[in-house]
Amino acid sequence: MAQQLANGVFAGSIYTLFAIGFTLVFGILRHLNLAHPAIFTAGAFVGIEVATRTEIPVWILFPVIAAFGALAGVLVERIAFRPLRGRDDEHFAGLISSVALGGVVIALLQARYGTEPQSFPQEYFPNQLFEFAGIRVTLTQLVTLGLALVLMLGLAWLVSATPLGRAMRAVAENPTAATVVGVNVGRVTAGTYALSSGLGAIAGALLALNLGQAGRELGASIELIGFAVIILGGLGSLWGAMAAGVILGLAEALTIHLFDSTWKSLVAFALLFAVLVLRPRGLFGHVKVREV
Amino acid sequence: MSDHEQAAPILEVESVNVAYGRVQAVRDVSFAVPEGGLIALVGANGAGKSSVLAAVSGLVRPGSGRIRLEGNDITRWPAHKRVGAGLVLVPEGRQILGTLTVAENLLLGAHRRRRQAASETEMYELFPVLAERRALPASALSGGEQQMLAIARAMIAKPRVVLLDEPSMGLAPKMVDEVFAVIERIRASGVTVVLVEQNARRALRAADTGHVLETGAIAHSGPAADLLKDPRVVKAYLGVE
Repeated sequence: MAQQLANGVFAGSIYTLFAIGFTLVFGILRHLNLAHPAIFTAGAFVGIEVATRTEIPVWILFPVIAAFGALAGVLVERIAFRPLRGRDDEHFAGLISSVALGGVVIALLQARYGTEPQSFPQEYFPNQLFEFAGIRVTLTQLVTLGLALVLMLGLAWLVSATPLGRAMRAVAENPTAATVVGVNVGRVTAGTYALSSGLGAIAGALLALNLGQAGRELGASIELIGFAVIILGGLGSLWGAMAAGVILGLAEALTIHLFDSTWKSLVAFALLFAVLVLRPRGLFGHVKVREV
Repeated sequence: MSDHEQAAPILEVESVNVAYGRVQAVRDVSFAVPEGGLIALVGANGAGKSSVLAAVSGLVRPGSGRIRLEGNDITRWPAHKRVGAGLVLVPEGRQILGTLTVAENLLLGAHRRRRQAASETEMYELFPVLAERRALPASALSGGEQQMLAIARAMIAKPRVVLLDEPSMGLAPKMVDEVFAVIERIRASGVTVVLVEQNARRALRAADTGHVLETGAIAHSGPAADLLKDPRVVKAYLGVE
């Protein structure tokens, strides 16, 4: 039981890191970026390729993946969203074009890596096992949780206490007012995508590191969970996404413990619908949905 | 104020046209603002006053015409770059950021001109009402306080030219007096002011030069004191006192 709960927390930390990418872009720009799962997948593949070719240590690998993700995010905004700016159907059209761009990214991954899953090199990451009070934890899981925590707290600090974060919150509330005070809205938009996709790419690599491998469907497998996290937490709420990611991870783990793994999605989504019925704004989206 | 008239213009608007779709909001508007001057743009609702300011501040791109700040052609500059050059708008309806605190609104205003900007403390000395409320979300302020915050947010940038769009709109008479007192202080500190107002009499009394807009074009221009006496202006915009 305790073992399952621990596993749930580890899975939940990856869900959260992934979902925060959705929620950040939505909260600030009102874009639902459906290319995000593809960037998540690409982060895993890029991580595996860099690890295989260069054998650089993990603590350099993750900044490299983050940089790749950030660049990819900037491109997603340029290609799938910016050309639509000012159209009446801007948001809906962006949703469609980002699905299309995500498809292109997955096709490019397939062209480069084929259909077989890719694996991290053997022994790339020390396969160490720890035991605390009867709970067995791998070093990978610990690193995942630690990195996720550091990144999320760092993001929360950035949004609440830095000039960039202040500008992001200004754009989220009122882009025109932000422009009037001299905020470069184009740059804040690019920065938001870079942050969101950087985190998403790291989340993808972390999941691949935990699984040992990555296939093209890595992002698709987590996409719905990501939606569930942001709805549960309240769209646009960072703290909500953090809590909801862990809650979903725990709910899945408990389901596996009590029934078996075939039921885990059912329970996760039943939870989602229950929340939608009882608290339509999500567990934490109290007054303002766009609170970042 | 003839000494102002002779100074080199800090802001020049030259044959500017603005259209929203097929609606022509501004027609061939030209005027120059001498450094340190205070000019008023008055006219009825929908005469194009706010559109002129939107073009000058970079919120809309004019269809044709030129806008110059200190001799530089800024017609194609994005809005944030104009703020950086010291051309700052206090927009209609205030547009303060209600979810941010009062202090954060001020910091945002200072950010683009970090080198020149005044300190938060200086703004609190000028606008004491904001000091007590600095940690509150700006949405908690009253309408008059929000207007003070909108002006303070522009002034913290130490602007060269400040564009005020309907600063007295929706305010109680006592607050209107306070806003005009603040405008006097701004111009006394040497900052150039372009004032757009529906309250034509108040605006012309504060200004040295006035331009009256009608359906997007300048209908009358001149020293503000003369416009206040011009029978056509009196009849259409000032009425009997």
